[in-house]
Amino acid sequence: MTQAEIIEELLAFLDLPEADEVAFEAMALRVFAYQFRNNAPYRRFATQRGRTPLTVRRWRDIPAVPIDAFKTLTLSCCPPDEAERVFMTSGTTQGVRGRSHHPTLAVWERSMLPTFRRRVMRGRERIRMGILFPDESELPNSSLAHYLALARRECGAPGSRVFIGPDGLDLDGLLADLARAEAEGEPYALLGASYAFVPLLDALAERGLTVRLPEGSLVFDTGGFKGQSRELGPDEFYDALSAAFGVPRSACLNMYGMTELSSQFYDDGNETSPPVKSGPHWVRSRVVDPLTGADLPEGERGVLVHHDLAHFNCVSAILTEDAGQIVPGGFRLFGRVDGADSRGCSVAVAEFLAAARG
Amino acid sequence: MTTFAGHLPGLDREDVSWRRVSYESWGETAEIALPDLTEAQARALCRHVRENARARLKRMDVARIVAAIDGASERLLDRTHPLRREAERMLPVVTGYDRETVRLGLTSYLKTFQRPQLLRFLAEDFADPGMLDGFRPARKGGFVRASGPDLLLHVWAGNVPALSLWSLVCGLLVKAGTVGKLASAEPLTAGWFAGLVAEIDPEIGECLAIVWWKGGEEAGEAAFLAEADTVMAYGGNATLAALRAKIPVTTRFLPHGHRIGFGLVAREALDSRRAMALARLAAKDVVRYEQQGCYSPQMIFVERGGGVAPGEFARYLAHELAALAHRHPRRTLSSGEGASVAAWRGAQEMRATGDAAVLLGAPEDPFSVVHLDAATPLAPTGLNRTLALVSVDSLDEVPALVAPHRAFLQTAAIAAAPAALFRLAESLASVGVSRLAAFGAMASPEPGWHHDGRFSLLDLVTMTEIDQAAEAAAEGFAPYVD
Repeated sequence: MTQAEIIEELLAFLDLPEADEVAFEAMALRVFAYQFRNNAPYRRFATQRGRTPLTVRRWRDIPAVPIDAFKTLTLSCCPPDEAERVFMTSGTTQGVRGRSHHPTLAVWERSMLPTFRRRVMRGRERIRMGILFPDESELPNSSLAHYLALARRECGAPGSRVFIGPDGLDLDGLLADLARAEAEGEPYALLGASYAFVPLLDALAERGLTVRLPEGSLVFDTGGFKGQSRELGPDEFYDALSAAFGVPRSACLNMYGMTELSSQFYDDGNETSPPVKSGPHWVRSRVVDPLTGADLPEGERGVLVHHDLAHFNCVSAILTEDAGQIVPGGFRLFGRVDGADSRGCSVAVAEFLAAARG
Repeated sequence: MTTFAGHLPGLDREDVSWRRVSYESWGETAEIALPDLTEAQARALCRHVRENARARLKRMDVARIVAAIDGASERLLDRTHPLRREAERMLPVVTGYDRETVRLGLTSYLKTFQRPQLLRFLAEDFADPGMLDGFRPARKGGFVRASGPDLLLHVWAGNVPALSLWSLVCGLLVKAGTVGKLASAEPLTAGWFAGLVAEIDPEIGECLAIVWWKGGEEAGEAAFLAEADTVMAYGGNATLAALRAKIPVTTRFLPHGHRIGFGLVAREALDSRRAMALARLAAKDVVRYEQQGCYSPQMIFVERGGGVAPGEFARYLAHELAALAHRHPRRTLSSGEGASVAAWRGAQEMRATGDAAVLLGAPEDPFSVVHLDAATPLAPTGLNRTLALVSVDSLDEVPALVAPHRAFLQTAAIAAAPAALFRLAESLASVGVSRLAAFGAMASPEPGWHHDGRFSLLDLVTMTEIDQAAEAAAEGFAPYVD
C-alpha cells in the first residue's frame, strides 16, 4: 500500500456518512498495517508488545503509543523532511516539543471541516467570528492556529478576524466588534484557547462591562488553561462566559483536540459539566487501565485511548494522559491524569523535574 | 471500631473534636479519629508541654529518659504485647504495606531504640553526654552544657511505619518538650509510643504531645508554629517552603526533604556465585516500603566487565523481584500511583524501541526493571517497584551522573572491594551523598546515623558555655578568697 493509496482510501472512508464497528475495524487494521510497515519506531514498539498485523485482529488490540513518545521519537511514515507541515505541541517538557508530521494536509482538513460544520456550525453556512488565538502566520507549527484559520476561511462571515496579535489581545477592537454584533443583532462566534478567555473576562469585569450577544451566537473554547492563565473550574468558567457574553451555557462549546491527532472531539454545549464528547466516525475511543492497557468496563474511569484513522502518517492509536469514562454516545473527560507524589519521603518525578527546571 | 490517634496530656477526649478518617487496604478497613484542636486548645497544650518540660523533663537525668524509651521499645518489640498486636494488625491497613514488611520494619526500627543503641545515639553526638544533665568541663577550658529546646515541634510526613520515632526519640534524649504532628498516612505509631512512655514514666508523658492538623490554613497550625522554639519538618520541597514561610525567623527550622537513593555494583561483585545473592539483597531494598523511603533505591549503576554482565544482572533482579512479590505482595496502587508507574513504563518502552534499553516485567507484573545500556544521569522511576539499572564502564563515572541532583542525594548502596569503596566514598561525599550502605540494609539506618548528613541530637541543642575567664573571675569573689 503506497502513501497515495492509503490517502485515497482514507478520503473515501471519511466521506462515508457513517461507519459501523466492522467497517471501522477493517479500515483501522489497514491503517495499522501501513503504519507498522512504514513507521520504524512504531514497528519496534508494536513488535515488543507482540502486536503485529499478523497477530492483531481487532482494532482494540492495535497498540497505543503513549503521547509522550511524540516528544522523543519521530513517528512518521514518510521521511520527516518530506512533510508538507509539522505540527508541534505548545507544552514542552525540558524544552522538547511533541511533533506530528503531515505529508499532506488533505486528510487533516477533510477530517476537520465537515466535523466542524456539523458540530459547531450546525446547518449554518457562515458566521462572523472573533478569534482569540494568534494567526497561523505567527504560529505556523500550531495545529490550533491552522484549525482556526480553516474555520475562518471556510465558515467565517465577512469581517471575521483574529484579535490576538504580536502585542497581545486587541481588547478595544474586540469590544467594538462585540458591540457591533449586539447592535446589529447578527449572531457571533467567539472562538479561542480557553486560557485566552480568562484575561478577557477579567478585563470585562474590571470595566464593569457585559455583552449580550444576539441569539444564535456561540462561545467556543479549547485546550484548557495550561498554566497560561489562572485555572477556573468548569462551572466557574462556563458561568462566567455565559454571564459575560449573554449566551447560555448550552451555546458554550468546547473542542477537545491535540497535536497528536488529526481529528477533534466536541460536546453539544456545557450546560452540565463534564458534558459528553464525541468525534466523527473515523475516530473511536477506549478507556483503559493505564498500568495494563486493558479496556475498562463502560462507566469506569481510566485513561483515554484514541484511535484516529485520519492520523495516518504518524500513529493512529494514542494513549493520552487524560482521564475519561465511556458513556452512551461518547465519553466524559475529567482532565489530566496526574502521577502521584511519593507517599513516603522519596522523590517522585514531578518534584524532581520541578527542581531541575529551577 | 474507631482508633483514637495522638497523645494529649491535660486534655479530655470529650473536649476535643475528632476528625474520622477511613483507611482501606488488603480488603480491610480501619477508621481512625484524628484530634482536631481549636486554636485555644493548641495554645494551651503547647503551654502545658512547655511548662512541664521546664519543671520536670529538664531536671531529669538523661538516664531516666533512656530508661523510659527503652521500656516503650521493649513493649513494642514484644509480639504478644497488645499494642504490638494492634500495630501489626492496623498498620498494613493504614499504610498499605504488607504484613511482613510492617512486622520486619517495626522490629528493625524498634531495636534501634533500646538502651545500648540509645547510648550510642548520645555518644555519637556528645563527647560527654553528661553535658545534657549539667555543666561539664570543656576541652578548651571552662565548662559547657547542652540544652534542648523547651518546645520542639515535629511535622511528620509519609506512610513509612514508625518513621516518626527517629526524631521523636532524638527530641526526648535532649529533654525537649515535644509536640509531634502525625502524618495522615501513618497516624498511629507516634501516639502509641508516647502513650507507652507516659505509662512507664507519667512525668515524661506530661512533656510530650502527639497532635494532628490538616496541612494548610486551619487554626491549630498557626498556634503550633508560633509556639515552637524549633521545628523539625519532613516533606517535599513545596511543603517545606510553605511551612518555612509561616515560621517566625527566630524559630530554628530543620527541614528534611524528599530524597532519592541509588546503588553501585562493582565488577568484582558480579561473579556468578555472588551476583544472585546481591540481586536478592537489592530487590529487598526495592520492595521494602515500595521505594517510598528517602533511602530507597530507584537506580542502580552496574559496572561492565564482571563475570555477570549488567544486562544479565538486570534479569537476576527482575527474577528476585518476581520471587519477592509472593512473600511481599504489592498493594493495589491508587490511580495516581498507577499513572506514575504507567508513565514511567511507557517512557522506558519507547526507549526500548532503540537498541540501548530492555524493559523487563510485563504490564500486569507487580514490578518493572529497565536496563539502560548507556551511562544515564540519575532520575526517579515510577516508584512502587520500578527500577532502572544503568551500565557503566567504570563506577568512577557515577559521581558525575548523580552530581546534578545534589539536593536530593542521601543514601547510596555499594557493593565493591574495600579500596573501591573508599575511593568512591570520597567522590560521592563530594557530590552530596551522606550515607553509604550495604545492599539489603538501605532501609535500616544504623543507630546514631547522621540523617541527611546532619547531627540528630547536636542540631537540636543550644550550648551554654562558662568561659574559663568567668570561672577564674568567680574565684575572686569566693568567700574563701584571701
